[in-house]
Amino acid sequence: MGSEFLTPASQISYTEIFYEHFPFYLAIGMTADEYWNGDCTLTRYYKKAFEIKKEQKNEELWLQGAYIYDALCAVSPVLHAFAPRGTKPHPYLDKPYSLTKEKARNDKEAEHKANRQKAKAIFEAWAATLDLPSKKGGKDNADNRRSPNRNNS
Amino acid sequence: MAKQISFEYDGKQYTLEFTRKSIEMMERQGFNINDITDKPMTTLPALFAGAFIAHHRFVKRDIIDEIYSKLTNKQELLQKLAEMYNEPLEALMEDPDDNEGNALNWEASF
Repeated sequence: MGSEFLTPASQISYTEIFYEHFPFYLAIGMTADEYWNGDCTLTRYYKKAFEIKKEQKNEELWLQGAYIYDALCAVSPVLHAFAPRGTKPHPYLDKPYSLTKEKARNDKEAEHKANRQKAKAIFEAWAATLDLPSKKGGKDNADNRRSPNRNNS
Repeated sequence: MAKQISFEYDGKQYTLEFTRKSIEMMERQGFNINDITDKPMTTLPALFAGAFIAHHRFVKRDIIDEIYSKLTNKQELLQKLAEMYNEPLEALMEDPDDNEGNALNWEASF
């Protein structure tokens, strides 16, 4: 009873299993000395680090795809076979994507600030072109406008 | 950090540990962990001696046997040695995602 579990497959020596896994750990950067003579639990961390690296690589490739997509979208107007003459491509992103939340927030704030400065400059330029009455004159005009009402009362 | 057993004997500090190399050497010399139930009288001292290979390779077998005979609480010692012996294999077999997702947990009542 239970002898059915003692097949030759279940009697593989530990050494055979160690040699079976050895190439994988060499491939992910573990040295032979670390594998055979080092702390035996190191393999766990090498494997975990390998998983993290794979994840990072995947994210990098995804990001690259996103940049390529943006670039294609930017040039798409001129790729059109029947595009009107003089069509120009949209400009490519002026800076890379913000990869952290803090950088995204800072970039957004900087963009808002630049927009405000631009709007202020435009408004000031527009205001300078107007022939507005002087401060004193303005007050006089206001008094004049109000005076008929006072007389009526 | 790998599991270790430490003690001092005759003014010298000993650290017992199993590496993959020491297990390979033991198996090359004929050690088989499955013999632990059939031939405990020879297997258990051999298991204890094998734990010296990693850090104290050149300690003579006479001294190891002497230390083994003097150690107390052998039942627990051998249990710990068996755990240590299995650790290099467990570290390879463990799936890093065991603690996440669909892992099936179990517990024994003994």
